[in-house]
Amino acid sequence: MMQSSPFNLRRALILIGRFVLGGIFLYAGYAKIFLPNMNPHPPIKIALSLFAMQVDSYQMLPPWAVNFVAHTLPFAEIALGLLLLIGWQLRIWGTLTSLIILGFFAAVVRSYALGLQINCGCFANPEPLTISTVFRDGLLAALALVMTVFAFIEARKPHSWSAPEKA
Amino acid sequence: MIRQRILVLTFAGTLFGLCCILLAHAGMPQSAGAISDIDPHTAFGSKTAPVVMEVFSDFQCPACKTLYTGTNRQLMDNYVSTGKVYLIHRDFPLPMHAHSRIAARYGRAAAQIGKFEPVEQVLFQNQEKWEQSGDVDGTVASVLSAADMAKVRALVKGGTLEAGIDKDYALGQAYHVNQTPTSIIHSRGQTFPVVGVVSYDILHNFLDQLLSQK
Repeated sequence: MMQSSPFNLRRALILIGRFVLGGIFLYAGYAKIFLPNMNPHPPIKIALSLFAMQVDSYQMLPPWAVNFVAHTLPFAEIALGLLLLIGWQLRIWGTLTSLIILGFFAAVVRSYALGLQINCGCFANPEPLTISTVFRDGLLAALALVMTVFAFIEARKPHSWSAPEKA
Repeated sequence: MIRQRILVLTFAGTLFGLCCILLAHAGMPQSAGAISDIDPHTAFGSKTAPVVMEVFSDFQCPACKTLYTGTNRQLMDNYVSTGKVYLIHRDFPLPMHAHSRIAARYGRAAAQIGKFEPVEQVLFQNQEKWEQSGDVDGTVASVLSAADMAKVRALVKGGTLEAGIDKDYALGQAYHVNQTPTSIIHSRGQTFPVVGVVSYDILHNFLDQLLSQK
């Protein structure tokens, strides 16, 4: 007798979370580094300095931290996007992804509440930070949390192909 | 075990591919560009500067004041006066601000008699006062001589300044500006929009990167 069904709602949500968040992270990192909407494309160091100005416009971090975030976040997004798409060690990378998205959500909520007239900087395009940005980030944070919690729950369950426990 | 190796190889292969793209983009040459519709009365620095920065600003916007006092003053000292950056003031009076258009008129009138810099400074530094009282005229009068102020008042009443303000506004809309301050930075044919307040340290890094391009 199988201990768990091969495909259930939890696994479906994990799969959706992996592909949605993985795809978004991969594109977000790529867009910040290569500025695909800009023609001709500027060199990478200039693209990262431009992203630093978008991070700075949130008025949350000192200059050294702004530079650190701007020069590491796009690469971290690409790595996390790939890891989520592959699905390897999902509990670890899911937790990290959730923490990062919660950080984005907190930054966006704070800026919106303060009435800062800035661009989101999410995908390196001129996208004003509006209430829809807040809702979008909130939904992504919820999806990341659901995916991570379900990944932990699923990891505790015996696999369908594992041997039944002896009485 | 085999599955794990496949996953690791896929990950490593993708990272290698990205590194190749990074290296290919690292030394990409850039082309030169030119900006039109520059009013020399509201621009600072050398016209031949390698970087041109257009600042779409509203005299009544608090963030514009922060950008002016915290960043652009240092920018003027270190980049504009040294011929590295050509800084252009663009009027973008937001309809939500009751006195910003009249302030823009006074700014333009002062620019026509060569007094834009002190008027811009006094309007931003006393923003909270004239925002409450609506006394833009009195604020501007505090930094100009009686003769200059008479010229400014005549220009403001003449009604010829609206066209310039509208032209700047239309240019901003063409750049998709919808909030102030928005800085449009041009260098080597590239256009970089920067929305909101940026600290001088971060802007200085970006400008140095642009200026070091070969």
